[in-house]
Amino acid sequence: MDNGTSNNDSENEIITLKSCDGIEFHIDARIANRYTLLNNWNGGESACIPNVNGKVLEKVLEWCEHHINDPQPNCGDDDSRRRNTVIEEWDENFLNCDQDMLFEIILAANYLDITPLLDLGCKTVANMVKGKSPEELRSTFNLVNDFTPEEEEQIRKENEWAEDYQ
Amino acid sequence: LAELLNSCNTEQLVFVSNFISPRLKRDFLKDLPIELSLHILSFINDPKTLSRASSVSKFWRSLLNDEFTWKNLCVRHHFRRRSSIAPVLPPSPTFESPASKCSKFSYKDHFRRRYIVESNWKHGGRTLVTHISPDSGVVTSLQMCQNYIVVGMDNKKIHIFDVSDGHYIKTLTGHEGGVWALQYIDEVLVSGGCDREVRVWDIITAECKYVLHGHTSTVRSLKMKDKTIAVSGSRDATLRVWNIEEGRLLHLLAGHQASVRCMEIYDDVVVSGSYDCTARVWNIVTGECLHILQGHYSQIYSIAFDGDKIVTGSLDSTARVWSRQTGFCLGVLQGHTSLVGQLQLHGSILVTGGSDGAIRIWDLETNRCVQNIAAHDNSVTCLQFDEKRIVSGGNDGHIKLWDIETGEFIREMTTSGNAVWRLAFQETKAVVLLQREGKTVMEVLDFDALETQN
Repeated sequence: MDNGTSNNDSENEIITLKSCDGIEFHIDARIANRYTLLNNWNGGESACIPNVNGKVLEKVLEWCEHHINDPQPNCGDDDSRRRNTVIEEWDENFLNCDQDMLFEIILAANYLDITPLLDLGCKTVANMVKGKSPEELRSTFNLVNDFTPEEEEQIRKENEWAEDYQ
Repeated sequence: LAELLNSCNTEQLVFVSNFISPRLKRDFLKDLPIELSLHILSFINDPKTLSRASSVSKFWRSLLNDEFTWKNLCVRHHFRRRSSIAPVLPPSPTFESPASKCSKFSYKDHFRRRYIVESNWKHGGRTLVTHISPDSGVVTSLQMCQNYIVVGMDNKKIHIFDVSDGHYIKTLTGHEGGVWALQYIDEVLVSGGCDREVRVWDIITAECKYVLHGHTSTVRSLKMKDKTIAVSGSRDATLRVWNIEEGRLLHLLAGHQASVRCMEIYDDVVVSGSYDCTARVWNIVTGECLHILQGHYSQIYSIAFDGDKIVTGSLDSTARVWSRQTGFCLGVLQGHTSLVGQLQLHGSILVTGGSDGAIRIWDLETNRCVQNIAAHDNSVTCLQFDEKRIVSGGNDGHIKLWDIETGEFIREMTTSGNAVWRLAFQETKAVVLLQREGKTVMEVLDFDALETQN
């Protein structure tokens, strides 16, 4: 079939992606084929990605390249995706960047519909939240405590159960 | 800028760093689109973190009150909604939609309650009531559901207790011998025993409506199909199908060569296990014997039946799985080294308890033993499991709680005694009957969340 042969041919094919700020990336077409949204722009040899700047797109493509041989994720298994909060070492290092970049990666992965990267980013943030006291959380994410002392007391009471029971 | 920073001393650099670092931080949950924020929260499955996060800021608090997060958590912790726990809701096809937010059910509250109940099972709980009988009667049968806890004794008595607080209500007297089997549905109770009679009672009035004669030896097993039909099995090797509304015999099921020790009903089919080493499948409506299940080398003591699969436990130290449709043996479950006296079947999970003191968990998809637990020093006398736990009682006097997933021992449920007769549990309650210091003791344990903090 036509499709089959063109798939094989595409293994060595290079396509060009352009970020919203005009930076060009030459990538293996298999990456584009793998993720639907990248593929949708793959009208020809080059495509333009709006909404994602060059710095972020570079990171995202770096991740895609590293994971090009991963098995296709099982989309139906939502729950096991969630349960598995372990992050591989390479990914952990990859996402060990400043919060701004992490933020942009999550947005881009969502925009480009790269589910495993989106999950990875969200897991990383979730891990930053886990096990922290409210004060630690505020300092981690630079948040302002906007409760009145009365409200704080009420919330403390409401949440007692989660602290008391294990 | 680099030059400027190079010319700074340490104190100035610390100032710059403290000034800059908050600016490099992002409030992910607030700045991301809300569905992504909720996606992040879906990777957190401990309530402690979630409740702490809810006290960080107003925005985080509103986000953490989102039903989606708590529903997720309910799913992850297998806190399924059940009619017994969840408030009764008007039937609404759009229940899962945001429109349902006006209804009273909240996943957060649901999670909170179930979480506390789980925690109480593991670490807490309280004894609602302890009844100590002055005599030392042997407890032969127990049922806890709906409104009552019903206890059958070998001293001819049937005691009724209130399931909500464990209080004693009344005793049904009339049997002239030990009671060996009983079951109730709503207010209709059927019992049988050494006096060879089957009795039909009205629990509310304590009146014995019928005394059904026919068996020529002890009634050893008994099951109700509904409030109209009951089947009794006897040491006389027969089963009898009764219309308990009208008090008459419908069918005499003859064929077994020895005592009918156990039985189970599903729809119009009753399966019976006998000391003649066979089990039989009968049609209750026609009285016809559909299959004879042959294979065990010794007496059958226990049986489970879910409408499709039949499992029998035998003195030959095996359990066998049979097809209700064909009567074929689908598997021989080997592992116990002694009588398999206790069985419970749910879905593809089978749990067996043996006189070797072991509890085994089997996967009936593969007929493999997935857990082997050295549970008691002596026979396992009773066990029950649900999707979270197994509770077992033994002749060693201990009542133990186990994690069904891992097979790990969690704790002893109460002070041990000389021997455990029977136990039963529901979502938030357990009842155990045991012999302690020579006396028959009944304890009702409660694991519910006490609503004092609200």
